[in-house]
This record gives sequence, C-alpha cells and structure tokens, in this order.
Amino acid sequence: MSNKENFFKGIIKENPLFVSLLGMCPSLAVTTSLENAIGMTLGVFFVLVLSNFIISLIMSNKKLAELVKPVRIPVYIVVIATLVTIVEMVMHAYLPSLFFSLGVFIPLIVVNCIILGRAEAFASENKPVDSVIDGVGMALGYGLAIMLISIFREFLGKGTLTVWGDFQINLTFIFDFLKIEPIAMFVQPVGAFLTFGLILAAITAIANNHKNKLAKKVANNG
Amino acid sequence: MEGVTKMNKGLISGLVLLALGIVCGLLLSVVNYFTAPKIKEVEDAIKYEALAEFYTLADYDLSEVEGTGDFGTIFILKAKGTETIEALVYTVSAQGYSGANQKIQMLIAVNADLSVEGYKVVSHAESTGFGADIVNNDFGVSEIDDLSGFDSVAGVTETSNGIKTCFNLVGQRIAADLGGGLSE
Repeated sequence: MSNKENFFKGIIKENPLFVSLLGMCPSLAVTTSLENAIGMTLGVFFVLVLSNFIISLIMSNKKLAELVKPVRIPVYIVVIATLVTIVEMVMHAYLPSLFFSLGVFIPLIVVNCIILGRAEAFASENKPVDSVIDGVGMALGYGLAIMLISIFREFLGKGTLTVWGDFQINLTFIFDFLKIEPIAMFVQPVGAFLTFGLILAAITAIANNHKNKLAKKVANNG
Repeated sequence: MEGVTKMNKGLISGLVLLALGIVCGLLLSVVNYFTAPKIKEVEDAIKYEALAEFYTLADYDLSEVEGTGDFGTIFILKAKGTETIEALVYTVSAQGYSGANQKIQMLIAVNADLSVEGYKVVSHAESTGFGADIVNNDFGVSEIDDLSGFDSVAGVTETSNGIKTCFNLVGQRIAADLGGGLSE
C-alpha cells in the first residue's frame, strides 16, 4: 500500500466513524457544537498519532516485541492512557472552557476503540512511519466526520456555528427568513442519532450509486 | 525446565510493563509540574470571578481558610474593620455522574442570616451537552437550611443529586462556622 493510499483510506474508504462505525458514543455526545468537535479532533489526533508511533516503535523491535506480546494490551492501554492524561492536563490548563465542555469524554478517549483498534490492527504490525501516516489519516477521517455531524446539529439546533471561543457564525437569519425557530431537538441526544443516521444513509446511497456505475461500466466493457 | 523458562518470560514481560509504567509516570509528573500551577490559576480565577459576582469585595475584609474532606477553600467576608462575619463562601465538592475521582465542585455563598446569596459550579466532568445546564441552572435554593424547593436538572439525576449534596454539606456546618467554628 502506498503512503497516499495509507493516508486516504482513513478519510474515505475505512473512515472510522461512517464506515467502521467505531467510537460512536463520544462522537455523538460531543457533537453539540463545532468547537467541541474541533477540540475532540485535536485530542484524538494527538493520542492516535503518538500511540500508533510509540506502539509501532516497540513492536518493530523483534526482541522487545517478543517480551511485550503476552502483555501487549496492558502495554497499549498504559501508552494510550498516558497520552490522554497529557491531553487532559494541557487542556485543563490552557483551554479550560473546552475542557469543561468536553467533560468526561476526554478521559474516555483511553477506551476509544478507534485508538485501541489501530494499535492492535495496524501499528503492531507495521513500521513507525506507516503507522504515523495511518494515525494521521484515521484521526482526520474521524475529525471530519464529527465536524460534519456537529455542523448539522449546531446549525439546526441553535442556528449558530461556534468555531472557537468567541468566534461564532450566527446563521439565525436563515431561520428568521423561513419564519421558524431553530430545532432544539438536534442538540439533544435524539438529534445526534437522527443526524448520524441521515448522514450515514446519504453516504451509503452515494457509495452504492458509485458501485453500480462501476459495475455497469465493467459490464459494458466486458 | 520448560516451566521455569515460561515463568521467566512471564516475569520479564511483567518487568517490561513495570518499566513502561515508571517511564509513563515520570513523563506525567513532568507534564504535571508545568500544568499544575496553571490549572490552579484557572480554578482560582473562576472562584474569584464568582466571588465578585456575589459580593462587592471592596466592601469587606476577605480572608480564607482551607477546608478538609469535601471542602476546599472557605472565604470569610467580614464587615470592614470588624470581626463580624457577614457571609461565608464555601468551595465544596460532591460526587455526580462522573464518579468519585471527578467530583462536581461548587462555590456556595451564604449570608449570616442563612440566605443563599449565590452559587456557581466551578468545575465538573459531567456529560457533554448538559454542561451549560449545570453551570447556569437555577436550582431554586434561597435558604441554606431549607432545600425543599430544590429544582433538579431534568434527565441528569446523578448530577442533580451531587449538587444537592453540596448544599446539604454546607447546611450541616454553617451554623457552627458562623458561631466561630472557623479558624484562619
């Protein structure tokens, strides 16, 4: 697999959220605003890229890998938990509003199955550089997915898009023009499931359409 | 012989895990060394900001004592130049939805006549989405010795119970504190 394929598979073909359906719980919970999604993306990016790199570094050393193999899952957890704790401490110190907004979902990154999954499925069997590329692709894929969900939810639920801190795009004029109120349900849990379901349905429809077109092309050529 | 080799391998794997744990612990202590003062600064800023929301601080002699157990800093507001306690502001914590390690921390300001001047959630790690509700909610408490009108946050029972516990903890000790139970 080329570096380009390795990078892009996490964004489209093997998108952790929309294709593999991994890490859904925190994803649906934090997508009440775009700022939360961006903050969560940064946290997951840091943890995923570094955990992939460190685990790959450990497992690519044959002697060390042999010793670590029987206790590899606790080793992964120790590495991931350390990185998550660093994210938590730095966020608490320098981004307190985001820290309080993300709440319990920052420490829960430790048990995010995307991170543990990539460590076991990819980083433990590939070189450090490839693992970093995989981590960057997967983290970006995850980030883009939760940002897409949060854009829909925040816009439909509040009529705004909070990008970062006080930088907020006010789109309530659209609702004023339509003479309706923002639909608060979209920032509630039910809105998360609804938005996720609708986006997933749209993506599946586009993918199926693309597959059908390819199949037709092959049939016509054949 | 094979058993001994297997045992040695297991022991070495355990030692590798232990060594990794020590390295990670050291790394975290370095990060903590740099972030802990900043975190304290952030939390103090929130507390003083909240204090200023409750009272005009220039009108009082402000002192503080460190509480024990569930209590953090207790701010004592005395009338200028006197020993009369006008109000006490408690930093108090209780367990909410996020468990014992990440308690809800509140500031509760109580006047000498036991009326509640104000309250604020200064830190919590409760579920996202409800965060704003917790921080800004009006819990309907006006007297610290009467929580009958306590208004919970809908759908967040554990969190609401944690907040009610904070009020209860203050209610249990305020009379003794106003009677001279606090030493600076």
